[in-house]
Parts: sequence; structure tokens; C-alpha cells
Amino acid sequence: MARLGRLRKQSEENTELNMVPIMNMFMVLIPFLLMSAAFYNIKAVNTSIPVHSNAPALNTPVEKEIKITVVLELKADEVRISALSDQAEPKALAEMETTLTRPPGGDMSIVALAEFLRKIKMRYPASDTLLLIPDENVLYREIIQAMDCVRGPESGTLFPNVVLSGSLG
Amino acid sequence: MALNKSKRKKKKFVPPGLMLTSMMDMFTIILIFLLFSFSENPEKIDLDKDLELPRSSSKAEYSEGVKLLLSKKELRLNDELIATVSGNEITGLADDAMETSALYQRLKTYKADEAKPEGESSQAPHVLFLCDRSHSFKTINRVIKTAGLAGYPNFQFAVLEGE
Repeated sequence: MARLGRLRKQSEENTELNMVPIMNMFMVLIPFLLMSAAFYNIKAVNTSIPVHSNAPALNTPVEKEIKITVVLELKADEVRISALSDQAEPKALAEMETTLTRPPGGDMSIVALAEFLRKIKMRYPASDTLLLIPDENVLYREIIQAMDCVRGPESGTLFPNVVLSGSLG
Repeated sequence: MALNKSKRKKKKFVPPGLMLTSMMDMFTIILIFLLFSFSENPEKIDLDKDLELPRSSSKAEYSEGVKLLLSKKELRLNDELIATVSGNEITGLADDAMETSALYQRLKTYKADEAKPEGESSQAPHVLFLCDRSHSFKTINRVIKTAGLAGYPNFQFAVLEGE
């Protein structure tokens, strides 16, 4: 009995975890994970600029299928909204013209702008293109902010095709 | 005294045991941190201190294209220095001389190299545009107009994730 107890005591004393294989595994895993780690998440905002096109104009006068192009002029202190279309009535397009104020150099009145664009989208659900015309002194970050707003809260719910253009005047 | 010395000499050498516990703790923390920042698409873009991208709520992933970088000091096309930037001015890129600029010429070369035989389907060529958030539209417009003239009307604006 005493011998058995001595043997058990000896085996308990010798029990020691061998950490070396675990360390080896860590040494392999860490460089691998370092290589595939992303310390900043870069995403993309898709856009285009106007180009000449020889495509014929579409003739689809069905109310729900009418496509309009919303024009958003981004100025230092205001945002002007209007609409263009060769399918919609000029009177209906004129109703969509509005001007929203924005604090100079400050953030846009995103809520008001998004709400107005949502109304246009509900009226013409087939429309998906917005022409963004920033002023020369508008900063790039403000343009990106405006693009986020016009695409909608879940990207693509309002006007996913944003065309960036310089002032036409 | 002499007896003690000989006794000491006879003692068996026991190698010192390495204390791995603290090292294991450290590695476990590093491993967890790296597992959280794991990405299937690790960044191939180096952001230098002169380039601060704007933040956006966009979730779209960027794809490989012609990389155009407009930082506070330089304009680079696929890591090749094209022009220097000071304030709102890009050297050699004026509104009335876009088609004679170095950027236009280099983009035209890329466009010619990209041309594929007819019938072969390919993704529409686009420019991955990395621009500093503090630039005005006046500066940006010159660059994107030149790219459009050279046959690249589609852009992907690189942004950092987050509102």
C-alpha cells in the first residue's frame, strides 16, 4: 500500500505539460495570420463620369417605368435638387425642384436630403441614376458623404448609379 | 573543504527548465488579435501619411484596376510618379491642356495594353481612385476628366469603412 502511494506520488511529480509543440504551432500560425491581417478596411464607392452616347432614347411612357435622372448640385451653403427626363411631364419634373440649406463647411442636412430623395424614388421607382454636380470648392469628403446619402441607408435603395460631373455652366 | 569540492563536482547537471507560461500567454493574445483582423482579401494598398481617405458607409469591395493615387503632394499612376501637387494645383495638368498631360499619355498607354481581341469578354476597365479627403472638387475634376478622356469613365473611389 505504501509502495503504491509512493508510485502515485512519483508519477504526479513527473506530470508536466510539454509546451514545445504548441509553441511551434503558434510560431507557424502567427506569421500566416500577420500576412493575411487587414489593419484598415478599404471599401469602394462606384461612380462614373458623363460620356457621349449614340443610344436611341427609350419610349416607355408607363408611369411606374418612367426613368428620371435626379440632378443634385452640391454648393458650399446649399443643395439644389432638380430632375431631368424625356419621358416625364415637364410639370411633374418642375415639382421636384427644391433647395436645401447646409451650414457652410459643415455637414449636410442628410436627413432632409434623404427624405426628399425617398419621395422621388417612391414616385419613380424605376429611376436609379443621380447626377452629382459639386461646386469647385466642395471637398472630396463632402462629395463622398453626399454619395453615401443618395445611395440610401442600405447601399442601393435610392439612387445607386451616381454620375459625378463638373458644373455645366 | 576538499571533500566538499569533490562532492559538488560529482553533482549531476540539471538543465534549467524554460518558463514558457508567460510566453504562451503573450502568443495567445497575439493570436486572438490576429484572428480578429483576419481578412480573405489582405490590403495590397499602402497608405502613406500624405493620403487620408474619407470614410464611407459603402460595403462594396474594390477590384483590381488602374490605380490612381492623389495624395496631398503627389499624383501617382500604378505607383509611378506622374506629377507633384501643391495645394489645388497639379503640375502639368491644366483645364485646357488635359490631352497633352503626362497622365493622359500614360493612361492611353494602359488602355492600349488592356485592349483584348473581339469576342473575349472582360470586365469594363475602371480606375481605382485613392484621393486625399482634403482635396477640392476642382482638383479632383481635372484628374477624373483626364481619365475619362483617356477611356476610363468608370471609377471606384477608395474609402475607409465606417461612417
